[in-house]
Amino acid sequence: MGDTEEGRFGLQGGFLSTADSVGSDSERVVILGANGVMGIGAAEVFAAGGYQVTMLARDQQKAADALAEVQALARAEAISESIEIGAYSTDLERSVAGAAIIFEALAEDLELKRSYFERVDRCRRPDSIVATVSSGLSIAAMAEGRSESFRRHFLGIHLFNPPHMIVGTEVIPHTGTDPAVVAKVSALLSKRLGRRLIVAADRPAFAANRIAFKTLNEVAQLVPDYGVVFLDYLIGPHTGRAMAPLATIDLVGWDVHEAIVDNVHAHARDEAHALFKLPDYMKQGIARGHLGDKTPARGGFYRRTEKGVEVLDTASGTYHEAAPPAPIQFVERMKTLHRVGRYRESLAVLKTAQGGEADLARRVVLGYISYALNRVGEVAATNGDIDTIMSYGFNWAPPSVLVDLLGAADTVELMRRYELNVPQLVERAAAEGRKLYAGSVLDFGRTFVG
Amino acid sequence: MSRPAVFILGGAQTDFARNWSKENKHIVAMIREAMVGAMEATGIEPRDVQTAHVGNFAAELYTHQGHLGAFVVDVDPALSGIPTARHEAACASGSIAILAASAEIEAGRYDLAAVIGVEQMKTVDPATGGDFLGTAAWYEREAKGVEFPFPKLFGRLGDEYDKRYGLRDEHLAHIAAVNYSNARRNPLAQTRNWYMSESHAARHSRYNAVIGGRIKASDCSQVTDGAVAIFLASERFARQYAQRRGLALDKLPRILGWGHRTAPIEFDTKIAESRGSQYVLPHTRQAILDAFARAGVALEHIAGIETHDCFTTSEYMAIDHFGITKPGESWKAVEEGIIELGGKLPINPSGGLIGAGHPVGATGVRQLLDAFRQVTQTAGDYQVEGARKFATLNIGGSGTTSCAFVIGN
Repeated sequence: MGDTEEGRFGLQGGFLSTADSVGSDSERVVILGANGVMGIGAAEVFAAGGYQVTMLARDQQKAADALAEVQALARAEAISESIEIGAYSTDLERSVAGAAIIFEALAEDLELKRSYFERVDRCRRPDSIVATVSSGLSIAAMAEGRSESFRRHFLGIHLFNPPHMIVGTEVIPHTGTDPAVVAKVSALLSKRLGRRLIVAADRPAFAANRIAFKTLNEVAQLVPDYGVVFLDYLIGPHTGRAMAPLATIDLVGWDVHEAIVDNVHAHARDEAHALFKLPDYMKQGIARGHLGDKTPARGGFYRRTEKGVEVLDTASGTYHEAAPPAPIQFVERMKTLHRVGRYRESLAVLKTAQGGEADLARRVVLGYISYALNRVGEVAATNGDIDTIMSYGFNWAPPSVLVDLLGAADTVELMRRYELNVPQLVERAAAEGRKLYAGSVLDFGRTFVG
Repeated sequence: MSRPAVFILGGAQTDFARNWSKENKHIVAMIREAMVGAMEATGIEPRDVQTAHVGNFAAELYTHQGHLGAFVVDVDPALSGIPTARHEAACASGSIAILAASAEIEAGRYDLAAVIGVEQMKTVDPATGGDFLGTAAWYEREAKGVEFPFPKLFGRLGDEYDKRYGLRDEHLAHIAAVNYSNARRNPLAQTRNWYMSESHAARHSRYNAVIGGRIKASDCSQVTDGAVAIFLASERFARQYAQRRGLALDKLPRILGWGHRTAPIEFDTKIAESRGSQYVLPHTRQAILDAFARAGVALEHIAGIETHDCFTTSEYMAIDHFGITKPGESWKAVEEGIIELGGKLPINPSGGLIGAGHPVGATGVRQLLDAFRQVTQTAGDYQVEGARKFATLNIGGSGTTSCAFVIGN
């Protein structure tokens, strides 16, 4: 990038450019599966951070098409100056041999990933880091059978979609990962790539997806009783999320939702086990090709037509015109308070509102807090880590913030009322009159939408 | 006669990457978060605040809301009754609010002033926003019916340099790349995760369109939603504040000097007036000299500068106007890496208006907060090592209102 510029400038021979000094040939990142959504996003993130990137796909044309998408994400053709493209058959061994980081973003198929890792293991530099972007498969299982050096340098780097916008990142070591590698990867992700990261445990769906998809699936289970429009309104952005829950599932894709909840349902046992069971109507919808936003003609919870937005009727599997939700007083009051930045007062409205609707909203919100903070020590080390990843990975209000705004003692009382497990740290905070969230309103304010 | 001291106790800034319209927020939420954040950061209580000044350019246009001073009172019941005011001088509005607050402290009227800079800009499409910004020029003569008038005006600033001294666009591209690069170190900068390279900035392309004259998208500062709050204090308050924290009073930074000048608003008149001067914007030069003289400092005492890079041409102008190079030779400082983080005199370690963002009325306050962070060694990854004194330059219009500060201890 800087070579020709240096020739033009450099009167004193000392043209120092921080803009160009961050990348060098010794720091090459090779991306496998570079033509997928995460591969394209990761290529942009690494190149923008100053790395030299090699994008590998099944053939040269797929990689070339992916590079054009990277240019569009970066809004800069010039990003291609630090990116080369190639195909697995001709370029994998050569490029992996020269790479500091090998970043795997292939399909979520354990056997496929393992076959590529075997190839990587044979040609990688002994000091290179190998990472998978998997959103929930076992990191340990992927490392099985690999060399000792590979195992020590292997971990998960879970980015959220789209990675160039969402900076939340989970770093997932397996038991054999060298702690120095975790430290090095954490430093480069946070310092050089601007990621907000946590170290998450190698458990099904890791930390953020485990916690978020419990609430998302819980809401999906409620749809036959309450309907799509009502639920997305009642448990909408005013409850501390950038997007309403069912709209989120449509965005993620029903197939991806199914993979995540099935994985947790099969491999994790906890107090919310039943809430990870995929609703039958979703199973049937997926079988008929209703995958959400990625199948616009078929739709998901919503279907956009020329006439407007239609919503799913789960009983018949058909779509009908979406009538706007009937306003609920406490919801409207909360939105008004968020709009002017009075988040504590808004949560006080949620706390005290009367009626079955308020009870339902409270049960879901308190269920999120309870489940998230009961996972401390299991999926992440501290409540601060869970706060970070829910806030920067999902744009959801950090659970500790919700406890502080509701008041720890009142949170305990509400959890008991809804027969939810009260996390120990919430009980302690109530007993000691202590805040749980270490950050500022400047960090969490954006998660409450008016 | 020495002037009474004005101390800076600290403050807080909102994340300039946020889009408050997407959050469906009213501008009062921005003021509230910045104020609450500043109180958390400093330990100042609402009851300590005796007066408040808001810098804002065009809330009436962007949000259909005026009378912003009054919204400070909404932050906490203990603020009810305090005197407040809103100040406007286009992109220099934040600095004018600082000047008003510091004048009150110097006059002995109050001991603790809150200064809030705020602008919510993502309420409208870019063309409409560009038209609103045109009111910072002489609207009827320079902006009415003109698409994106300000890039064109600052393109002409570059043209004027070109005419008098010669100007190469690759120097402007380098200024852009440095600001973006610095912004990657600033966790509150709007562009902290954006891609930028010098070669992208150096040429027109599909993604780097010409906005007006020689100004491309990469030469422009950002459309930004942002609020910043800081606290200014008299010596009496600062002494107690330092005592309570076990600090020596001289550890607290103060406004050592200020300059404030106004040139004719119309760009052509301004340029005609400066024809005999070595400086393209002599009043801007004078504002800097005034600040240095009042502070009793020379350029060699300054560790770094937060300047008004609304466009790369305005930073190019700032380089020679600060006296870093002879007039017309700003390119030398660009080439020699003087202005980069790690250079002899870093400019905009925060990323400036191009990298950190430019919420118009908040920018002057953001600059002072960043200068505070530098001289208190709390600027994190964009710290200028060992900084003791820092300068700021904030400009309204096409070089019309110029405000400079020197801060340090």
